[in-house]
Amino acid sequence: MSISSHHDAIITVSGISKTFPNGVRALDDVSVSIARQEVLVVIGPSGSGKSTFLRCLNGLETVDRGTIVVDGIPLDHDRSNRLEIRKEVGMVFQQFNLFPHMTVGENIDLAQRRVRGTSAADARTVSLELLAKVGLEERVDSYPARLSGGQQQRVAIARALALRPKVMLFDEATSALDPEMIGEVLDVMRALAAEGMTMVVVTHEMGFAREVGDRAVFIDEGRFVELASAQRLFDAPREDRTRAFLSKVL
Amino acid sequence: MIGPYASSRRRRFTRLDIALLTLLALAVAWFILRLYSGEAYRWNWRVIGRYMVRYDAAAGRWRANVLLNGLLTTIRLSLWSGILATLIGLVMGVVATRKRLIARLITRSYVEFARNTPPLVLVFLFYYFLGDQIIAVLGLEQAIMSLGPVQRQILTVIGAPPRQFPAFLSAVVTLALFEGAYLTEIVRAGIESVSRGQWEAAYALGLSPLDRYRFVILPQAWRVVLPATVGQFISIIKDSAIVAVISIPELTFQGLEVMAATYRTFEIWITIALLYFVLSSSCSWIAHALERRMAINR
Ligand SMILES: Nc1ncnc2c1ncn2[C@@H]1O[C@H](COP(=O)(O)OP(=O)(O)OP(=O)(O)O)[C@@H](O)[C@H]1O
Ligand SMILES: [Mg+2]
Repeated sequence: MSISSHHDAIITVSGISKTFPNGVRALDDVSVSIARQEVLVVIGPSGSGKSTFLRCLNGLETVDRGTIVVDGIPLDHDRSNRLEIRKEVGMVFQQFNLFPHMTVGENIDLAQRRVRGTSAADARTVSLELLAKVGLEERVDSYPARLSGGQQQRVAIARALALRPKVMLFDEATSALDPEMIGEVLDVMRALAAEGMTMVVVTHEMGFAREVGDRAVFIDEGRFVELASAQRLFDAPREDRTRAFLSKVL
Repeated sequence: MIGPYASSRRRRFTRLDIALLTLLALAVAWFILRLYSGEAYRWNWRVIGRYMVRYDAAAGRWRANVLLNGLLTTIRLSLWSGILATLIGLVMGVVATRKRLIARLITRSYVEFARNTPPLVLVFLFYYFLGDQIIAVLGLEQAIMSLGPVQRQILTVIGAPPRQFPAFLSAVVTLALFEGAYLTEIVRAGIESVSRGQWEAAYALGLSPLDRYRFVILPQAWRVVLPATVGQFISIIKDSAIVAVISIPELTFQGLEVMAATYRTFEIWITIALLYFVLSSSCSWIAHALERRMAINR
């Protein structure tokens, strides 16, 4: 795979497995290395382990076995390492998860001020820049409940960008949206990819995945069934299971 | 979030209400009749006035007398116990939601112990243990006695006179430990009412554990916790009567004293019931006001 020669990998995942306390094996010996500026899209049926994979990358879930290294920092039990990694990895959730008791501006200011120790004024300058980027500058003083789903998700993206992360994780960022709002969020993600942001994107939007993804991986039952360039995976899947899945969703 | 006092609730009397009110009126009438028939009870409400305030001839002005002092002591007692219980509830409530087994074990034991023991027993337990052991170890008595006159005055205003202070302190701590168990449950429920997504977003943003609570979780838990906490203050006020058994001169204790001196049973206990009612219902009024306010701000 020419795209991710080892030395410029920003995330290296080696042989991780994860079994939940209830006995569900969500990840089974998964390895991948993700290059700087690469967009990796993750597809697979419901319950196949896509979210779990993503959540392992910023430490929201701990792995039972294997290692994850992000930008040279091992994601282990060392608290300061984990904190460093969370600063470098932004995450966008299906349900937006904006803080409802804070305005849009406060949502984006918070991490800058508390994690980076930025002054209120400087944080707000950055927040406004980020809001401009997602086209919501004028909503800085609104509360999340006053925004549409698409607008909330764009704010959530701006918030995840607030610490200037090197990697962005998207877990079905458009799945909770009304169809007419999906486009505005995908546009923001497209623009981010074009800027050269490293992204790991779990999505059911196959057209978008094929268009924006450099590589794509099909997960089933916690295993990476097929990992290839996005074009190849969507146009000429080699594994039967990938073919079966794609024929259902396309 | 439609509270029990939502305006949509109908407020008309039904037939059942009228029947119940009639019964209530009859009961009151019968009670009064009983008092006046036969050996007529001679009401003497002036006793109450005398024990509320008295004229200090030497100083030439009115002073609070035992009943009013009892009321003030009850307020001081409830206030300090309430504050301390809130702190206990906050800390234990947060600890109760931690994943670690030992954290849950400690908070669970505390809550179960406090809730499954009669408060009266707890009062004695703490009074003798705290009063005799801890306070002695801390050298509190000597510390208080060595205070200057101004400091003594302050102590008297915010708590109790120096001589009674150790007992007052054990009463405050006992009540706080007892009510703190309920507040622990309130805080725990409040924290658990915040969705998982909020935790995850706070975590993903790199916030420290303390900041996650301070900026994300607790402000949202507040909506649930605050009205319930004010509600719990009502219990604290009512339960504070129990420390009469260790001779804290609060309202109930003073009532017993005045009764021993005057035998004006009904006047005294009706007055005391009314005083408790006024204190408690103002708390519940605040609780409802907060609840409504938070529902609006949502
Ligand atoms: N906290 C948890 N405790 C127990 N089991 C879990 C937990 N989280 C996920 N699982 C299980 O692990 C498996 C993988 O879940 P995961 O959420 O990663 O799937 P997914 O591919 O993201 O699915 P979806 O498309 O529905 O989001 C599923 O069987 C799920 O039920
Ligand atoms: Mg998922």
